[in-house]
Amino acid sequence: MNHKLTVIIIEDEKNICTFIETTLAAHDYKAVSAYSGKEGLSYITSLCPDIVLLDLGLPDIDGMDIIRKVREFSSVPILVISARIGESEKVQALDAGADDYITKPFGTSELLARIRTALRHSQMSANAPKSVEASYRSGDLTINFEKRLVTIADQEIHLTQIEYKLVSLLALNAGKVLTYDFIINHIWGPYADSNNQILRVNMAHIRRKMEENPADPKYISTEIGVGYRMREPDN
Amino acid sequence: MKHAKKRMDKKTLLRNILITSLILGFTTAGSFAFYNFTDNADNVAILYILAVVFTARFTTGYVPGIIASFFSVICVNYAFTYPYFSISFSLDGYPLTFAAMMIIASLTSMTTTHLKEKNRILNEQEKLLMEAEKEKMRANLLRAVSHDLRTPLTSIIGTSSTYLDSGPSFSEEEKCQMVQTIYDDSNWLLHMVENLLSVTRIRQADAHVTTSLEPLEEVISEAVSRLKKRLPEAKVKVSIPDDFIMVPMDATLIEQVIINLLENGIYHGNSDAPMELTASVSDGQAFFRIRDHGQGIREDLLPHIFDGYADTPTSSGDSRKGMGIGLSICKTIIMAHDGEIWAENLPEGAAFTFTLPLGDEPYES
Repeated sequence: MNHKLTVIIIEDEKNICTFIETTLAAHDYKAVSAYSGKEGLSYITSLCPDIVLLDLGLPDIDGMDIIRKVREFSSVPILVISARIGESEKVQALDAGADDYITKPFGTSELLARIRTALRHSQMSANAPKSVEASYRSGDLTINFEKRLVTIADQEIHLTQIEYKLVSLLALNAGKVLTYDFIINHIWGPYADSNNQILRVNMAHIRRKMEENPADPKYISTEIGVGYRMREPDN
Repeated sequence: MKHAKKRMDKKTLLRNILITSLILGFTTAGSFAFYNFTDNADNVAILYILAVVFTARFTTGYVPGIIASFFSVICVNYAFTYPYFSISFSLDGYPLTFAAMMIIASLTSMTTTHLKEKNRILNEQEKLLMEAEKEKMRANLLRAVSHDLRTPLTSIIGTSSTYLDSGPSFSEEEKCQMVQTIYDDSNWLLHMVENLLSVTRIRQADAHVTTSLEPLEEVISEAVSRLKKRLPEAKVKVSIPDDFIMVPMDATLIEQVIINLLENGIYHGNSDAPMELTASVSDGQAFFRIRDHGQGIREDLLPHIFDGYADTPTSSGDSRKGMGIGLSICKTIIMAHDGEIWAENLPEGAAFTFTLPLGDEPYES
């Protein structure tokens, strides 16, 4: 197949753009850099990229505004590049419609994994918006969505209704971070108390049932102040 | 004492008047009650002496005490000695009583004023000392920072310029090694910068942080996974209580502390045995204990290990392994949480422990 996936990088630091471009080109992506928000927005409309990498601190337009503007006309996956300190900024970007974030500085493998995950999810929802995968498998963990069955090393794990909903929601979005608000909205409905304590208690129960060592979890990782992320499924 | 009087403002004056009249009023009322009850006026003078002492103690300056003793003498003379309700200066020994009360009042005032003055001076000295200590810490930190930042930067710039200048003459293997050095040093630099940035989350005004309830296990697991991302070969054995425990904290900062302590153990322990990270709860405190099975901490470094620039001149110049800023930042962060942190040598290896207060409602109902 000759068609290369197009990535637009919106980032005002030329060095970082060059590094990402080189990396992506080496992995068979077509990478285009935009050094300002305006330029980036025009590339997104003209090039119809498969994914957008967006730095939030741009000189001309606020990163949040770019996310909102893009979301008005496109559902292209947006991967936000952010600094370590500033959980609120990440949460805001995710709630504004970004698909995931990656913390500066990052390694090549991490960047590629995030891009693959985002692409996988966007293709999944584009090809078959209704039918979801029948199962999730990662390491010893298997989730059968039809039978609502969770097993670890073929041993059935007994989860409560809410716990199963939580695990399946995370598994369907595996590899992607889900914010507290997003999860609470999905499980407890839009009118639920926005206090995330109940969510974290439930996650603690799930960890105790699913993880060998709850303090060193294999399947569901925590991103404190932001949300939870389930491990990518094995292929 | 003139300047004391000059400094006495209206508020102090009012306060003095109020206290003096209150004490004297109570004493007079008490004396009447006592007199009516026992029909005996001999001990009334003692009550007034007490009043004078109290007045001198609780007011500022000499004047209230002297006024109180003057009033007391008159009162005792007028109301409680024969002839009742008239002033008489011809009583036997009266001048002596008068003089004695005056002297008691002056002496007490003098002593208390002196004590107060001394206290103030002591307080001021302490404040100055604390300021100096803070200044010293700041200077130490700055020195440690510039030293610790310059070292990896020197290596990065040096290695990369060598590569650029004479790249073709090196073998592939050598080139790889050079890039690896640059990679390692930049990672170390990043770690340092993150440490320094974390301190900006501590409020300048009261040296505290904004805390929120966080599950202990999530903070620990994220810290360990972040450490493993950077040091994939690191081995950490984690154990936590079975209960679900929420601890008020700034999670980003506590993660930083855990990572610093684990890394410190890995670099300094010189041991292949895994690090141990144990969390427990007792007495309203969460305890985090990080221990290694290495060579322990040199006894002479132990008391100053959190001081920032602990490295003595005798220690090697390899500052990469000197956790100078790392440990002092740990202390700053834990202090900002009202917790405690300490280091100790165990029969095998060393242990760092820090505590965080659990607050009012540690357990989720």
